[in-house]
Amino acid sequence: MVETILPIGPQHPALKEPVNFKVIVDGETIVGLELDVSYTHRGIEKAAEQRDFIRVVPLLERVCGICSHAHAQAFCTGIEEVMQLEVPPRAQYIRTIVAELERMHSHILWLGVAAHEVGFNTLFMWTWRDRETTQDILEEMTGNRMNYGINEVGGVRRDLTAGQISSILSRLPKLEEQIGKYVGMVKGEETMLLRFRGIGKLSKAEALKYGTVGPTARASGVDYDIRRDDPYIAYSEIPWKVVTDTNGDVYGRTLVRIRELQESLGIIRYCLEHLPEGPIGVQAPKVAPKAEIFSRYEAPRGELVHFMRTNGTDRVERLDIRTPTLANWTSVTVSLVNQHIADIPVIVAAIDPCLSCTSRITILNEQGREKARMTLEQLSEYGRKYSRERGRC
Amino acid sequence: MSQVPDTLSKRLATWARLKSPWVSVFNTGSCNACDIEVIATLMPRFDVERFGILAKGSPRHADILIVTGPVTMKQESRLRRIWEQMPEPKYVIAMGACGASGGVFQGLYHVLDGVENVIPVDVFVAGCPPRPDEIINAVVTCLGLMKEDLARGGKEWRRKPVESTGTVERPPDHGEVPA
Amino acid sequence: MSGPLPLEDVKKALERFGPVEQVRFNRIKVKTVPENVREALFHAQALLACDRLIQISALDNGQSFELIYHLTGPHRMVIAIAIELPRDRPEMHTTSDILPPAGIYERQIYDLFGIVFTGHPNLKRIILSEDWPRDEFPMRKDWKPKPRTPRGGARQEAP
Repeated sequence: MVETILPIGPQHPALKEPVNFKVIVDGETIVGLELDVSYTHRGIEKAAEQRDFIRVVPLLERVCGICSHAHAQAFCTGIEEVMQLEVPPRAQYIRTIVAELERMHSHILWLGVAAHEVGFNTLFMWTWRDRETTQDILEEMTGNRMNYGINEVGGVRRDLTAGQISSILSRLPKLEEQIGKYVGMVKGEETMLLRFRGIGKLSKAEALKYGTVGPTARASGVDYDIRRDDPYIAYSEIPWKVVTDTNGDVYGRTLVRIRELQESLGIIRYCLEHLPEGPIGVQAPKVAPKAEIFSRYEAPRGELVHFMRTNGTDRVERLDIRTPTLANWTSVTVSLVNQHIADIPVIVAAIDPCLSCTSRITILNEQGREKARMTLEQLSEYGRKYSRERGRC
Repeated sequence: MSQVPDTLSKRLATWARLKSPWVSVFNTGSCNACDIEVIATLMPRFDVERFGILAKGSPRHADILIVTGPVTMKQESRLRRIWEQMPEPKYVIAMGACGASGGVFQGLYHVLDGVENVIPVDVFVAGCPPRPDEIINAVVTCLGLMKEDLARGGKEWRRKPVESTGTVERPPDHGEVPA
Repeated sequence: MSGPLPLEDVKKALERFGPVEQVRFNRIKVKTVPENVREALFHAQALLACDRLIQISALDNGQSFELIYHLTGPHRMVIAIAIELPRDRPEMHTTSDILPPAGIYERQIYDLFGIVFTGHPNLKRIILSEDWPRDEFPMRKDWKPKPRTPRGGARQEAP
């Protein structure tokens, strides 16, 4: 059988980030995958060495617009531990609220994009409309819909008034009701079930072996969540549960994310109702003592790691960021083998790639022969057509 | 020479372009906040589609190119090529602080500071990221510019003089054609 | 999820490779030499139940390059295996056959630092643009960016 290479990229309307795929196929089955994802490399780690602790936080927030609080918080957690700062509890609770709101907006965004991949545009529109509630809350709290700028080393920069708290609490029940509907839709909607069940399956052993993190790993039964295993900000004081599933396929990942949405809503409600009084920050010293820090954070996509080394000056000597999408790419190549090319968009979307956090490739095997061209939008359309024609939906 | 459309087909094309501009979004290495705000403009809350503005994938069909990101070195030649593929009259909106000057990434080793170092820009939108309302405002401003350009016969009336800075190094071409 | 690893267990398993130190309540660091890394990783996986590689951190401390392999397991402790590589010959054997995620991390480190991982199945350019010169490694401390040459755009050329 002739092996074909399908290059796809680097401009796609559905996947918001530039990426170039080279899929090596044997007929309709995938044999290998090559990714070129370095379109968003900006040189942030080098720049972080030249900016002091105040200036580096806005830079780190823009590593990724969807998980911006994650990067800023991972950095602040590490530096505050080295400086031995006692961050006041009110600041930690506010940080937790913003962190969970970010998780919610990211998961709802993902749900919309995943629904769009299978052609279920109604759910796409509904989820993004509900997402506007979280964006409104974030804008009231922090002043911006994305890239919030509320974090600094030592605490937060804005406080919550009693009026804001009650206004946010009043909006949560409607959101909760909508999320409950998503569960019903995913479990009952034939299109989604057929396109998601059994696709991109990863066993628990494979998930561990290939270093997967986040909802992708938890859907395969791997019980890792940094909020419980290495707690930071206020998670050790709040009652909440880690969500796992045993399906291991894209359907399992969808269920994990929706249940995490419900958990996040519970955490936000608890934090708002039990917000401690007090200051919102402490004055951080200008320099940090010499140390090596390994700071971890559970971003919406998985475990985010900031490895830092400080040297007694007012900036880090080295900042090494390992993003969750980077950890999950290996599993994408593994779970794509022997699947149909029509399922590529779904499997790639299922790990919730945040390519601006990332930038790397893996190769399974390559022997080039004939080349063909397709954009990801064409591939998504092909996937929907393929499913309809084969009578799957 | 005025380019006021005189034949019926030309008038139809102009009416279609002004009433329903097709927009293509290109990400040159942004943090994605700008791209998500562009997608949010299509969603029910802001619903830009009721104005006739459609987001099309291919730049060959687009009237307006929205560029996000500070233009990494990898995307430079591709951005240039996408711009060249667009049919005249074409307009470029550079989004955010990154599009104007590189934003927080100004001066980093893999980044060219801003879109105007690669292609000419018609509208800059401020923000990090700009809100969907501001994006709609930018598109409407662009439409206003389209109308004025048609009345005055092109873009020359608003082009600022540019000084040449000596030798110019063209970005290398890798033969990769985005669809 | 099992309980945290006591320091004595880690010492018993890895002390032959170098000094073992508890740097944080959930992080234990072992300093060793490049030749021992593969064996140390085997021991960590077999005796200490480390089933996951978190990251390979690389840094340039001015005199030499340092690589740190961070592993974890159901005990939730982070075992960090640290080595140093000489500046004039930054070479290291790959570990991507023992730990599959290492493949990606090693490619990135190669691109940014110039550390060559011998035995890697596909050590190609991955994160920098293809026009980037082959011998410039931006994350090294002694690398300075060159002044920008105008690349041709609306600001430089007349329409």
